[in-house]
Amino acid sequence: MMRHIIIGGSIAGISAAMEIRRSDAGALITMVSKEKPGAYYRPMIPYLIEKDGIDITFTDDPAKKYGIENIFEMATGIDAEAKEVALSSGDKLGYDRLLIAAGSGPVIPAIPGLDGDGVFALRTREDALGIKAAAKGKGDAVILGGGFVGTKAAIALRHLGLGVTIIEQQGQILPGRLDARGSAIVADAMRAAGIEIITGDLISEVIRDGGAVVSVRLSSGRTVKAGLVIVAAGSRPNVGVLRNSGIKTGRGVLINEMLQTNFPDIYAAGDVVEHADLITGMPAVSALWGNAEEMGRLAGKNMAGGNIKYAGFLSVMNATDILGIPVVSVGLIEPEGGGYEVVVQDGIDRYRKFVFRGDTLVGTVLVGDVANAGVYTNVIKNRVPLGRLKAEAMKEGLKYVDFVGSAPVQNLMG
Amino acid sequence: MKQIYVRPEQCMGCRSCEIGCAVQHSEEKSLFSAVLQSPPPMKRLFVESNDEIKMPVICRHCEDAPCLRSCISGCLFRDDKGLVRRKKERCIGCWTCMMTCPFGVITRDREKHIAVKCDRCHKLDVPACVNSCPTGALVFVDIDDMPKEKRQSLISAAAKEVL
Repeated sequence: MMRHIIIGGSIAGISAAMEIRRSDAGALITMVSKEKPGAYYRPMIPYLIEKDGIDITFTDDPAKKYGIENIFEMATGIDAEAKEVALSSGDKLGYDRLLIAAGSGPVIPAIPGLDGDGVFALRTREDALGIKAAAKGKGDAVILGGGFVGTKAAIALRHLGLGVTIIEQQGQILPGRLDARGSAIVADAMRAAGIEIITGDLISEVIRDGGAVVSVRLSSGRTVKAGLVIVAAGSRPNVGVLRNSGIKTGRGVLINEMLQTNFPDIYAAGDVVEHADLITGMPAVSALWGNAEEMGRLAGKNMAGGNIKYAGFLSVMNATDILGIPVVSVGLIEPEGGGYEVVVQDGIDRYRKFVFRGDTLVGTVLVGDVANAGVYTNVIKNRVPLGRLKAEAMKEGLKYVDFVGSAPVQNLMG
Repeated sequence: MKQIYVRPEQCMGCRSCEIGCAVQHSEEKSLFSAVLQSPPPMKRLFVESNDEIKMPVICRHCEDAPCLRSCISGCLFRDDKGLVRRKKERCIGCWTCMMTCPFGVITRDREKHIAVKCDRCHKLDVPACVNSCPTGALVFVDIDDMPKEKRQSLISAAAKEVL
């Protein structure tokens, strides 16, 4: 009987466990995660701040449905030679196959005064509920970081009636996730909703009075009132458990196309992984739910004896809605250097950008109108050469039927 | 299991399927009240055309459904008939399913701020789009029950799409 251990209890680990169970009814599957109680939709946590009584748990408890044993402890180390995982209780668990799906944690910058009450990251359900409780009676909040997490936290707190200021180090909000024009459209809507956005500035100090946060001082010298600080400065892979294990890491755990680490019986999936981006070929970490699901699923198949190759992920593949504006960005959205062709359609209620390399679509930004977004995503992800369809794509946009007929250019699905 | 098959060579592009779909998903499920409904009811399939063919593009309720896999809210689920459906109350309108559906058949309900997709009229014996098609471009059959040559003609029509 195979004994599978999964470190991490979120989507990469869950989708792996599901696949292992589908292939092997008798396998022992143990999931080690300190987060209690069990599985939930992590991208939903910003909504917990502003909405009461919403359910973000998995409707079918995967532990019950797929026969997964949960151990609510921290994994503290891996002995890859002895094939054992050490737990915070001091116990050791032996495995035949191990999956590292430990996810990512918040980047907490070293800023004087940041450590203490009134300062929250937003990575877990507990964080979100903590923010919700702390927001009561507070007048103002400052968000450190204007990425998706910061943006969503800002909107949630604004909806609760707080005055909200986002401090973003770079020149725009959603850097790397939207291009300058897309970002400006979103920023305008946020400002119209009463959210202040300060770019190109940093928090240099959190000012406290008797322990409570009262304001933040910025590098520019400016001071912003705040009773609450949300740290949304990005995430990094949780590689602490790998210390002294001999498992190779860069920013995250390095894997081959079978999702194996340098130890063939140890796999890795999800936010904890570093892998080449499908478009740029550069090492990247993903921190995206959909990518974690896919990696977990494929790792699970391979752990159960499968032989499926992972092509890699797009490190930009985001969909969201910001104050009623639908937004999708996929692939390479801000090309640098030559060899790219960029087509922009900037209308009253929609902005669309398509980036081509030769006759291949490598990136898109869709703001205000995301119809057929999935056609673009699949063309980009599967690197489908468009041939004669390129002109169509640049003019009218692509639709599914463009890939159907007696002489199809190529299957949309690659 | 019965599936909807598309036969593009039979499609005239009349859009009767779109109307049938929208009416079935309207409040009172009649054409007369549907045209008066505000906002108008939404269709779940789309007649598209290129230089060569016209065809309704429909949800496949994919076995390996990208929409379902990528849903971040637990809204999309597979029902006991194998259909990919919504728990509407869980949709937050994040449009991730729209970003991942290769067919482009998930759309945005601007009023309710939720994603809209085909439920294959799970309460009906025959889906409304199939029922509305006057030319046989949409058929609802269990392919295992079909005579061999009919089966092959359907498969070759389907193969044109995917090869």
